[in-house]
Amino acid sequence: MSDLDAFLAAAPQPQRSSLRMLLALARRPKGRLLLGRSATLAQLTDGLLAMEHYEEPAAAKRLGWDAQAVTARGRALRRAEGRP
Amino acid sequence: MSPAHPPSGAIEADVCVIGAGAGGAVVAAELAEAGARVVVLEQGPHHHADSFSARPLQMMSTLYRDGGHGMTLGSPPILLPLGRGVGGTTLVNSGTCFRTPPGILERWREEYGLEQLTEPELDPCFERVEKALSVAEVTPQLAGGNAAVARRGAERLGWSSGYLRRNARGCVGSGVCAFGCPTSAKQHTGITYIPRAKAAGARIITGADARHVAVARGRAQAVHARLEGGAHLEVRAADVVVAAGTIHTPLLLARSGLGGRSGELGGNLALHPATAGFALMDEIVDMAKGVPQSFYVDEFAAEGIMFEGVAGPPSYVAMSLPLSGQRHAKVMARYRNLAQFGLMVSDSSRGRVRLQGARPLIRYDLNAEDLRRFRVGLERLRELFQAAGAREVFLPLPTGVSPGRVTARQLKLMAFHPLGTARAHADPERGVVDGNLALHGVRGVHIADGSVIPSSLGVNPQITIMALATRLAFNLIEDQNKT
Repeated sequence: MSDLDAFLAAAPQPQRSSLRMLLALARRPKGRLLLGRSATLAQLTDGLLAMEHYEEPAAAKRLGWDAQAVTARGRALRRAEGRP
Repeated sequence: MSPAHPPSGAIEADVCVIGAGAGGAVVAAELAEAGARVVVLEQGPHHHADSFSARPLQMMSTLYRDGGHGMTLGSPPILLPLGRGVGGTTLVNSGTCFRTPPGILERWREEYGLEQLTEPELDPCFERVEKALSVAEVTPQLAGGNAAVARRGAERLGWSSGYLRRNARGCVGSGVCAFGCPTSAKQHTGITYIPRAKAAGARIITGADARHVAVARGRAQAVHARLEGGAHLEVRAADVVVAAGTIHTPLLLARSGLGGRSGELGGNLALHPATAGFALMDEIVDMAKGVPQSFYVDEFAAEGIMFEGVAGPPSYVAMSLPLSGQRHAKVMARYRNLAQFGLMVSDSSRGRVRLQGARPLIRYDLNAEDLRRFRVGLERLRELFQAAGAREVFLPLPTGVSPGRVTARQLKLMAFHPLGTARAHADPERGVVDGNLALHGVRGVHIADGSVIPSSLGVNPQITIMALATRLAFNLIEDQNKT
């Protein structure tokens, strides 16, 4: 299961079904045109898809964010200093 | 945290605490250290820092209740993310620490008859909490580039501002406070008070969903919980501290047939609704390098408008940026130049939470006064960014709509501080608990979470909740010593 799928699966109904339906639309050219009629829905679906994209390490690194390095530093500090 | 084979059947305790967040963890530790036999029932799991990935999308699913999708119904709908697990929302908050403003305590005395909750009475509790959590002011170096933008704007405008005090120790500015601190620098209750409670002999049972508080002859008797896997657990205790949070505490009490006399249970919900804007700067900001919430602007606090820093990694910004299509993609490509700042309103609007099926239904409509605060606040946020030298400002508004003309329904709001659904009031006809956080009309049932706070605070509430919980623990210890 992808991170986005897990994120959606954690949502209660009816958000879960609504978001899945909207994302299914957003992934199709005709659906995107339809969603474009509502700025709110376009922002929501573009935001979710972009969130998934930038969660990918390579995409995030291109913008200066290295999650792996952040967690590795955290782990090293916790081990070295006996933090929980 | 919980034993491999969770207990089932019945166990005895002096005090049963429901919830291991800001209120419950504090009460549990203080009572256990005073020698009480304490059992803590926590619905969520224990999260270890080894599982924190610094990836917002991934962490939302695991650290937040309902994956962070919780929402209010009303105008506008408001996203209400809450933490779930040992530490509660302190695990995923920004770590900002404000004491209860003196003017608020005065208001509680005048409007709610809470004579006990004075500054001299609470100061020792605040000091004790702040010491336990290593509360200190963020340094400019640790605050990072995002705070530097806001500071520059505030200084050029002559607005009152400063660095925030936080519960952190050994922070290196990982930038993901809201998604699990990978260094365990943030001193959430799961790594501070809960270990103290355990060391003093308290039993912390995770995956325990408290379903019912049993009362007989006007006195608390037991808490009934459902464990993961469906087993039933009864904790027999003469004192019960409900700390399930502002949304779930009133639902548990209502299911138990408690706290309903005043008609206030579930009502009086305040949220501190909030929104945020972005600015495209010429400089490299790298907003996630540093403490996300490290700086505040309180120039308009008296009007109920507070600005506080907010920031995160690219995937978090991708979801928050109020743009779409090519425009979204182009601005995201300049993530390193983006700054973000939040706007929080001390609300006079009030909502209500009630049970629908097995879930909370939260109704909250923004009133005209709070809408006006958002209109003014968004305009001031734009001013702040422009004074800081922003090349472009992105406010969460529909295209072509200015801050002064935005409607409630057009606002994109989130809220992080639900308060007031079991409010304290000296009068049993007007409140759910008294000034000592004891349920009116019942002996042995107390509440220690944001639900008792009777009004908006205008500032982040975790320290207020913890100080009130400390005071409650001291009172319970005193009572036990008498008997």
